[in-house]
Amino acid sequence: MKKVIFILSVLILFSCKKEKKISYALNDVNISQNSANKDHLKSTTEFISIAYSDIFGTVITTDKLADLSTMYKAFGDKKLIEEMVIKNFLNEPTIQIPQIDRTSEITIQNFVTDSYKKLFNRTPDEYELWFVTDMIQKDADLTSELIYLSLMTANEYRYY
Amino acid sequence: MERRKFIRNLGLGAAATIGVPYLLPSGRLFASTGVRKANHVVFCLFAGGVRNLESVHKIDGNLMPYSFKGNENISSDIISGIDLVPPNTGITLQEQGTLYKEFRMKYGPTGHYGAHATAMTGVYTGENLNINTNPQYPTIFELYRKHNSPGMSAKNAWWVSNSLGPYAHLNYSSYEGYGADYGANFIQPGSIISQDGFDSLGNSRVYNNTEEDKIKALRGFCDAHFTSQYNGAANSIVNTEADKKEIESFINQCFTDAVAGQFDDPWGIGQGLYNNDMRTVQFAEKVIQEFNPELLVVNMQGVDVAHDDFTEYASNLQKADYALGHLWNTIQNTPGMADDTILIAMPEHGRNSEGNGLYDAYGRQALDHTNDEMSREIFALVLGPNGVVVQDQVFSQEKGESIDIVPTIANILGFDADIPGGLLSGNVLNESFY
Repeated sequence: MKKVIFILSVLILFSCKKEKKISYALNDVNISQNSANKDHLKSTTEFISIAYSDIFGTVITTDKLADLSTMYKAFGDKKLIEEMVIKNFLNEPTIQIPQIDRTSEITIQNFVTDSYKKLFNRTPDEYELWFVTDMIQKDADLTSELIYLSLMTANEYRYY
Repeated sequence: MERRKFIRNLGLGAAATIGVPYLLPSGRLFASTGVRKANHVVFCLFAGGVRNLESVHKIDGNLMPYSFKGNENISSDIISGIDLVPPNTGITLQEQGTLYKEFRMKYGPTGHYGAHATAMTGVYTGENLNINTNPQYPTIFELYRKHNSPGMSAKNAWWVSNSLGPYAHLNYSSYEGYGADYGANFIQPGSIISQDGFDSLGNSRVYNNTEEDKIKALRGFCDAHFTSQYNGAANSIVNTEADKKEIESFINQCFTDAVAGQFDDPWGIGQGLYNNDMRTVQFAEKVIQEFNPELLVVNMQGVDVAHDDFTEYASNLQKADYALGHLWNTIQNTPGMADDTILIAMPEHGRNSEGNGLYDAYGRQALDHTNDEMSREIFALVLGPNGVVVQDQVFSQEKGESIDIVPTIANILGFDADIPGGLLSGNVLNESFY
């Protein structure tokens, strides 16, 4: 009998173990879509002059703005003409867009953040930052020009 | 299986196949109910305000020898002020179709935009027309793209305009259930295919397919992440990605051709003879040759110089006539369009019977258009293949209205019966067809 009591005591003593407190190293992130409150459509002249400044780092001349505005109005598919305008801007030798510093993940993230701030007037959320950084890391041929073209022809660029 | 049972099952299967309606790729249950008379329609708004006196009644001689029969000489007092186009040595347009000499724009203000809107929506406009927005009623493009089955992409519908201003709004309406999703590709070539246009848009970098895929992927990610109300079509018609690429390539080719001088004298009649109407029609011909659109509307308005200069009006009238003849000739020489196209031509409105007091260098009085009876008198030409369109037929008595063009186009393309009742009040010009 004494033997049985001893065995049971040993089993009880070693079968229950105090649970360890584990805290995972996750930071809180903002998952709200910070583009949600953009509902003002840029006018034709706003779109063209902002796009020019974003690419050339200077103000468009009045004559050029007038010419491009007329051409914009003369074409029905606005997304197509916007794309053509941006593609022509990007093909100029005087463009002033930053190159991607691929030294580290941080430098790539800095490029993505700066691009979002410049073109979308906001910082990227965590998911956007991860997604675009990941794209750049995985593709050495993804240039800043292609990224600018993608962002500037996206729907959000049409809004402020 | 027993022979009797097999035959019964076969019969039931066949009946079901015939009886069960088809779900078309467009999502519609049935195809358009009508039979097409032709697979392409070109509607030329011979606009700017043309008086019947100078056109079909030839009061100053035959100023439109490509359209109308007759060798009447141009009045001697104005002939030296007219930029003569090459003479017509072939068959006239009226012999290749039906001519309505006394067509009417019965109601609404005889203003250019309102009358364009009437011709392109099939609904008369009122005095409260807002020229800063899209028309109130569905345009022929929207009716076509919504009710034709199978549904066609915007590449099949083109609005080629000689000017900007409110005319850019005529590719779609604000009517509920229609709008930009069913609109046409609009282009005003004069503002794009030019030296300025080339300087601004003709230096586009061409991206290879791999680069295009990367751009598409990142843009797609951004668009999926953007939750504002923008859906891509809020303020514009939308072409499919493939069509967009084709159209961009076409415009770039036009730039290249223009810089190479191919737009200088494309018709071989002398560079100095071209006016904006002729250049606009020439671009419409390029669209026809490139895309074989099912529906194309092009306008001319050079005759509106009549407000200041009657003789210049007469000169531009014969240039517009030459352009119309050239357009028809191009259609007949374009594979896919030849013998399968119906061309309709009509001024949007006429001009007043009395002059406005301004005299030109030849002593002729200028003409306005302010709702008098003569400013409502117009003509209409319906041209098409023999056997489809009645050839060499003329109606000299009053017949037809400008609101009849839209139902007639819908009938030609076989979808008129699918347009909701009450939307159109005009009639099909049935007498034009066999």
